[in-house]
Amino acid sequence: MAFDLNLSQDQRLIVEAAAALLAESFPLGRLREARQDDLAPLCAFGAFSLSASEEEGGSGFTIVEEALVHTLLGRHLLTTRSLATTVAAAVARSVGEGALATAIASLGRPVCAGLPGAQGILVLDPVPNAAVLVFGDRQLSLVETGAVREQPGLGHSVAVALAGGTGSTLASTDDPARLAAADLLVSCHLLGVAEGARDLAVAYAAMRRQFGKPIGAFQAVKHHAADMAIRAEMLSAQRDMAAIALADRRPDAAFQVAALRRLAPPVALANARACIQLHGGIGFSAEADAHHFVKHAHALSRLGEAASLLDLPSPMAPRQPAAERT
Amino acid sequence: MQLTTTPEDETFRTAARAWLAANVPGERPPREGKAAADFTRAWLRRCQQGGWAGIAWPRQYGGQGLPPQRILIWYEEYVRARAPSVLDGSFVALNHAGPTLIACGSEDQKAFHLPKILSGDALWCQGFSEPDAGSDLASLRTQGVVDGDHLVVNGQKIWSSYSDHADYQELLIRTEPGSRHHKGLSWVICDMRAPGITVRPIRNLAGVSHFAEVFYDDVRIPLSSVVGPLHDGWRVAMTTLGFERKTAAMGLQFELGVRIEDLIALARPRAGTALAERLADLRAEAAALRAMTYRTVLREPVTPSDGSMMRLYFAELAQRIFAAAMDVLGPEALLDGAWSHDYLEAYSETIAGGTAEIQRNIIAERVLGLPRE
Ligand SMILES: Cc1cc2nc3c(=O)[nH]c(=O)nc-3n(C[C@H](O)[C@H](O)[C@H](O)COP(=O)(O)OP(=O)(O)OC[C@H]3O[C@@H](n4cnc5c(N)ncnc54)[C@H](O)[C@@H]3O)c2cc1C
Repeated sequence: MAFDLNLSQDQRLIVEAAAALLAESFPLGRLREARQDDLAPLCAFGAFSLSASEEEGGSGFTIVEEALVHTLLGRHLLTTRSLATTVAAAVARSVGEGALATAIASLGRPVCAGLPGAQGILVLDPVPNAAVLVFGDRQLSLVETGAVREQPGLGHSVAVALAGGTGSTLASTDDPARLAAADLLVSCHLLGVAEGARDLAVAYAAMRRQFGKPIGAFQAVKHHAADMAIRAEMLSAQRDMAAIALADRRPDAAFQVAALRRLAPPVALANARACIQLHGGIGFSAEADAHHFVKHAHALSRLGEAASLLDLPSPMAPRQPAAERT
Repeated sequence: MQLTTTPEDETFRTAARAWLAANVPGERPPREGKAAADFTRAWLRRCQQGGWAGIAWPRQYGGQGLPPQRILIWYEEYVRARAPSVLDGSFVALNHAGPTLIACGSEDQKAFHLPKILSGDALWCQGFSEPDAGSDLASLRTQGVVDGDHLVVNGQKIWSSYSDHADYQELLIRTEPGSRHHKGLSWVICDMRAPGITVRPIRNLAGVSHFAEVFYDDVRIPLSSVVGPLHDGWRVAMTTLGFERKTAAMGLQFELGVRIEDLIALARPRAGTALAERLADLRAEAAALRAMTYRTVLREPVTPSDGSMMRLYFAELAQRIFAAAMDVLGPEALLDGAWSHDYLEAYSETIAGGTAEIQRNIIAERVLGLPRE
């Protein structure tokens, strides 16, 4: 029993190992070549089944460790397939499709993230023979699609395809706990985007010189940077709260996750935007890395929607109504 | 990372909840003047009689010596029971002066002052800012000249909250002749009834007076009232600011969490979609503020300035919440009421205790490591 928000020894080890792996295999610079991420190193790490029990072929951690690792994936702007793979495997497990779950987590059955669009399902970062995890209206469905047609994506650097029709449904759930776990991980990727954008901007501000000094010495720049730090800090604090609540099945879990999922998109986008701004002209170019944060923020934000926060009871509700109304 | 309470923690919660339900005053505290100070003293006395004095203070100084999770539980129950705001005439005593004496005071100073603070017999104010020394606090000029075993103080402080009815002041003055900046300052205990002190209350933009100018005209303060070494007041003052940013803020931050719930309840019948969306955003932000509050007391800080991010986030969120309240109220926003008053009071959040601009500089330099100007 503990009341403590420091990383445990285990958590520190996982985070350090994941960070080292990501630095080695997924440096940001890789995004300058239009190649799809190869998820094999993450699969070897067990990244897609961290919270599955050992009998289920997982690592027996909780959603808390999963949240920490997925935040790091977000920082490295990993393909949304990394997120869809973890979530799809968990959905399959939860509906009793253990073999399918194992196939997904071991990348035998690739999974892409998808969202319902006006002309059919938009498939993000499409790869051959993939099933598509559709982030619907409070519903997650893993489906087979027919042939997909690649489309020019946002800024010509988001890979998108359109699936004409859907085939069979492999697994599907509207279980609030499952949806909450997915919302948590989507938010973790968005948090990672916010943290990565902050770090890239701060590193640039310390290095780039104008008027004879680093631009980071100017207050206008500092204040942008401070705001990026506050937004990321606030979101990561809420990430911890939501992840722990969900892991412990606390009564406020749905509330905490809904708050997190609501906060995450504007935070990621604001940091991504400030990151471009602080880079000046190079930030507007497709040759630097800053623009990828904006595009990832938009793609991730579309994956499902937060549960309606005003319909959930708050853990800070007063014990009796206010005496005066105005 | 774990937030698992023990059965003893839950027993503590139940006891706190029951005591608060039975003892929280039904009436809203008076806004200013002697009535407000008397209300504060009575409330502190009642807390002490109930065994809840000095929640965050060590046991050996009359506090409860509670571990962080109990302090969190206490303040959550406190605000949910609508107990009096912690930002009143006791704030400086409980959160600045007392902790500073505990950290830097002499045994005599501790023995004399700490019990009086917990019982509500001594309210304190802070005399740091001066007309020409605000953000640049270290440029302060109020002077203390050593004369035998006394300091003779001349000068002026300003914005000293609750100084009109305080018993003591934590006073930061220049004691080393010719010294500059943060060198040569001393942190002294000033008896507000000492001859030569004049307090002139200043009305704030919300129409009430809870801060004041304080003038010192040959005020004699015994050298035994210097806290820490003479001329080493800056270090002592920094101890105070450090405390301010941890447990002191907890009650205020949780209180904001209750205010957004009240605002949502108030708005429900009148909220259109746009307003509902805004309230949902604010509720999410208040949840994150609570998460940050937990984090600051339950996690080793990466840098000592981590709390400055929470402080600024709180300040700006409070302003957003009260601005939304004005829109919820509609035409009634123009009447003096609890919400409209607090809306105006919230303008101080990004000024008092270090302006938002200064906080951003601190975050950029000390958290992010950007170069100094
Ligand atoms: C409600 C309230 C209660 C207070 N209570 C107390 C109290 O009890 N005791 C006490 O000692 N003081 C108290 N204060 C004073 C408070 O600490 C000061 O007001 C604050 O530090 C700012 O100083 P200033 O008012 O002189 O503003 P200034 O320092 O003159 O600032 C004016 C403006 O310039 C900006 N600015 C100044 N320097 C910089 C810089 N380097 N970079 C960027 N921007 C800058 C500021 O951000 C601000 O916007 C209180 C203030 C308020 C509003």
